Amino acid sequence: MTTSEITREEIQAVYPKAAKIMADALGCDVEQVRLDASLIEDLGAESIDFLDFVFGLERAFKVKIPRGKIMEDARGDLPEAEFEEKGHLTERGLQRLRAYLSEVPADRFRSPMRVADIPKLFTPETFCKLVARGLRATKADA
Amino acid sequence: MLTDSGLAGKVVLVTGGSRGIGRAVVETFAAEGADVTFLFRDNKAAADEVVAAGRAAGRPIAAEQVDVRDAQACAEAVERLAERCGRIDVLVNNAGLIRDSLLGHLGEDDVRMVLETNVGGVFNVTRAVVMHMIARRAGKIINISSVAGERGGQGQTNYAASKGAINAFTRALAVELAPRRITVNAVAPGVIDTDMTRAIREGASDEVKARILLRRFGTAAEVAYAVWFLASRYADYITGEVLHVDGGFKME
Repeated sequence: MTTSEITREEIQAVYPKAAKIMADALGCDVEQVRLDASLIEDLGAESIDFLDFVFGLERAFKVKIPRGKIMEDARGDLPEAEFEEKGHLTERGLQRLRAYLSEVPADRFRSPMRVADIPKLFTPETFCKLVARGLRATKADA
Repeated sequence: MLTDSGLAGKVVLVTGGSRGIGRAVVETFAAEGADVTFLFRDNKAAADEVVAAGRAAGRPIAAEQVDVRDAQACAEAVERLAERCGRIDVLVNNAGLIRDSLLGHLGEDDVRMVLETNVGGVFNVTRAVVMHMIARRAGKIINISSVAGERGGQGQTNYAASKGAINAFTRALAVELAPRRITVNAVAPGVIDTDMTRAIREGASDEVKARILLRRFGTAAEVAYAVWFLASRYADYITGEVLHVDGGFKME
C-alpha cells in the first residue's frame, strides 16, 4: 500500500487544508495555490516559505516530512554519483525525477537540469503527495 | 510616556535561567507579567529557588532541566512549551559557560564544552523555536553574547570564539528571519557580578576595573534591562544589533 502511486482521491483529501497552509506561508490567496502551479516561479516561494509551510503541513496532518525527502525519494536506490554529476542531473537521474514528480508537466523539465533548479519544479501537488504518503505511513504504523 | 513594554502575557523561554544573568532575565520578564519558562542544566536547587521566589511573588515561572547541548532534549522541551502555551514569543539564549586558560593549556574538553554549550546550544534551541515564530510571523530572539566576542582577552580563545560566533549568528539570522518579522539581536555584557565571572573579578579586580570606563562591574539586572528592552515593543525596529552593556570596557 505505501509504495503504490498516490491516488487522485488521496490528493484531493488533503488539498484544501494543505492549500490554505501554503497560501498562509506564501502570503497569497488560496485560489492561487493551484495543484499544478510552480511554487517558486508562479507563486514566488522563497526557501523560508518552504520551511514555513512544511512545518505547517507536518503539524496540521501530524506527519513527518524530513528535509531533503523529495530528492531522496526521487533518487531511490540509484547511487548518488549516478543521480547527479557536478551539480547537474544525469540522464538516469532526470528519468527518476520525472517519474517521481509525475504531477509536474513534462515541459517544465530541462535537460541538462541543474540540481539547484529542481525546487522550481515543485508544485502544491508535490507536497500534497508527500502529506498523503505520510498519512499512509501513519496508518500503516497504527 | 512609555509605560507598556508589551511583555505582559508573552510566552518567554530563557536558557540557563537558574543563576546569574539568566535568573535576572527570568525575574525581570516575570515581573512584567510574562509567562516565563527557563531551562537549566544541573543546578536543581538554584532552579527550584527561582521558581519558588516567583511563586511567592505571585508570578508563576516554569523550569525544565535540559542540557542545551542535547539537540533532541531541546527540541522536545520547545515542543512541550509550544504545546502548553500555544506559541513562543520571546527566546533568550543565555546558557553559557567559561573555561578560561591559555591556548596551550586548554584541553580538548575545555574547547568542546564551551563551543558546544555557547554555540551548539544556541543552534539547538533556536532551531526548534524559530519554526513556531515563523509560523506566527512574530517573535523576538535575544542572544547573550559577551564583550569577549569583539575584544581580545587573555585565556579566552574558546570563550571569545564562541561569542564571536554568536554575534555572527545574530546578524545572519536577523537577515534570514526579517521577512517573517522576527527580530534577532544580541546583548554583549562586560564583566558582570555573577558566579561565572568570580575568578576574573577576584583574581585581578583592580586591573580589570581600571579598563572599565565606569570603574565598576555590572550587575545581572543591568544586563536584564537591555534584554527586556530588546524584547519589548520599544525595540520593534531593531534587528541584527549587538548591544554592549559593559560600562565602557576596554581590553588590551
